[in-house]
Amino acid sequence: MPVMTHASVDSAAAPLVQVRGLTTVLGGKKVFDALDLDIARGRITAIMGPSGTGKTTLLKHITGQMRGADGAVLVDGQDVARLPRESLYALRERIGYLFQNSALLSDYNVFENVAFPLRQHTRLQEDLIRNVVLTKLQAVGLRGAAELMPSELSGGMARRVALARAIVFDPMLILYDEPFVGLDPIALNQVLKLIRTLNRELGITSVLVAHEFAAVREVADHVHLIANGKRVASGTPAELAKGDSPWTAQFFGGALEGPVPFQYPAPPLASAFGFPGVAP
Amino acid sequence: MKQFAARLFDPLVDGLADIGRTGWFLLGLLAALPRGLTYPRELLRQLWFVGAKSLIIIMISGLFVGMVLSLQLYYTLSIFGGTSALGTVIALSLYRELGPVVTALLFAGRAGTAITAEVGLMRATDQLSAMEMMAVDPLAFVASPRFLAGVIAMPLLVAVFNLMGIFGGHLIGVTWLGIDNGTFWSNMTSNVSVWTDVINGEWKALAFGALISLIAVYQGYTAPPTSEGVANATTRTVVTSSIAILALDFVMTAFLM
Repeated sequence: MPVMTHASVDSAAAPLVQVRGLTTVLGGKKVFDALDLDIARGRITAIMGPSGTGKTTLLKHITGQMRGADGAVLVDGQDVARLPRESLYALRERIGYLFQNSALLSDYNVFENVAFPLRQHTRLQEDLIRNVVLTKLQAVGLRGAAELMPSELSGGMARRVALARAIVFDPMLILYDEPFVGLDPIALNQVLKLIRTLNRELGITSVLVAHEFAAVREVADHVHLIANGKRVASGTPAELAKGDSPWTAQFFGGALEGPVPFQYPAPPLASAFGFPGVAP
Repeated sequence: MKQFAARLFDPLVDGLADIGRTGWFLLGLLAALPRGLTYPRELLRQLWFVGAKSLIIIMISGLFVGMVLSLQLYYTLSIFGGTSALGTVIALSLYRELGPVVTALLFAGRAGTAITAEVGLMRATDQLSAMEMMAVDPLAFVASPRFLAGVIAMPLLVAVFNLMGIFGGHLIGVTWLGIDNGTFWSNMTSNVSVWTDVINGEWKALAFGALISLIAVYQGYTAPPTSEGVANATTRTVVTSSIAILALDFVMTAFLM
C-alpha cells in the first residue's frame, strides 16, 4: 500500500513530477529543448539517454538547484523554480537525493552523516535520533559500520550510507543519480534490492538516472529516453527493448551508428591529413 | 594591436570582475551570518582549526621576528647612541605594523589555504550540493563559521605574536646585548600607548582576519570541481590575500596614524 502522506487527495492521481516545455541553455548549448515528461507517483521511473544529454541536469531542475530559460518543473504541484527559499527547502526535506559519488560529509562518521538531516531540522532527543539512524542503517545493512569514517568505506558501502541518509526523513520522492556506476555484482544486487524495497514497501516514488539497461530492466516500471534535448521514447523497459524507433534501436540495441553519431563533429578526415585537392 | 590590448586588459577586467563577485559573495555571507550563529559547534571546531592550530607557527615566528628586530635595531640605534630606546622601538614596530601584517601573511598561508582546499574539495565531492539537497544552506553551515572563526582568531593570534616578539626582543636586547632590563621596560611602557598603538594594531588584525577568511572561503566555494581547480584556488588565496593585506595595511595606516 503506497504511502502518500504529503500529497493532497485531489492531486493524488496527478504525476508527482511534471516537466513542461523545459528549455535549458548551458554554456551556449541547448541541453533541453521544450522537454515534456511526467513521473508517476509511487513508481520507479528511469531516465536514460546518451552521455552528456542532461540526465543529471534534469534531476537538478527537479530539486530546484537549476532553473531553465523557459518552461516549468512541477513537483507535487509546486513550480520549483518560482518557490522562495524557505518553501524550496521545505520541499527538499521531502526529497531524497542519492549523488553519484555519494557526497558523504567527510568530517563526520557514518552515524553522524545519517543523523545530519535530523540534527539540522528536528529537535529530537538523542536516544530517538540514535534509534532512527540505526534503523535506517539496519535497512541498508550497515548498522555495524556506524562508527566508520567515509574514507574507510568501499564505493558500494558509501552509496548505501548515502541511501540511508536520503531516506532518514521517509521522503515522498528519491532521486538516484547513476546508482549503479562502479559497483561489483554483489553491491549492484544490494542496491537494486534496496531501490525495489523502498519503492514497493514504503511507496516512495523513485527516479533513477542510469546507463545500465540490464539493471534498469530489473527495477524500473517506466523508462524515459532523452536525446537531443527532447524525450524521444517512453514506455516500460520491455517495450523499449523491442527497439521500434531508431533511438531505442541504437540505445538499447547497442548499434555504433544511428541518431547519435559515433564521431564528434569534425571536418573530413582527408582534409585533416592535408591531402592535396581537399579544402580544409 | 587589438589582440595586444586584449592581452593587456583582459587580466585587469577579470580581476575587477572577481572583486565584484567577491563583493556579492560577501553580501550573501553577511546575510547568512545570523543563521551561521545557530551552529556554535561548527564555529568552535573552526576556531580550533584556524586559531588554536595556528598558534605554534605564530609563536615561533613572533619569537624570531622579535629577536631579529632586536639585533637590527640595536645596531641602528647604537649609531645614534640611542640603544636605551630599543624596547620602545621593538614594541612600536610590532604593535603598529609587523604584528598584524606578518601574522596575517602567516595566517593566509596556514589557515587560508586550508580553508580554500577544504571548501573546494567539499564542492568537488558534491558535499555542498548534498547540504543544499538536505535543506541546509552551505553559506550558513560551511562559509559563515569559517569566516567568523577567522575574524575572531586573528586579533588573538596577533596579540600572541606581539607577546612572543617582545619576549624575543628582550631575550636578545637584555640577555645577550646587555641593555638594562629596567630601561628596556620603562621606556617601552612610557612610550607605547594602548589606544593609539595596541588597539590600532588590533583593528588591523580584525580587518585582515575578515579579508583573508572572505578570500579563502570565496575561492574554495567557487573553485572548479577538479583537482587543478582546487589547486589554483588555493594558490589564488595566498596571492590575493597577501596583496590585499599589504594594500589594506597601507590604507589603514594612513587613516589610523
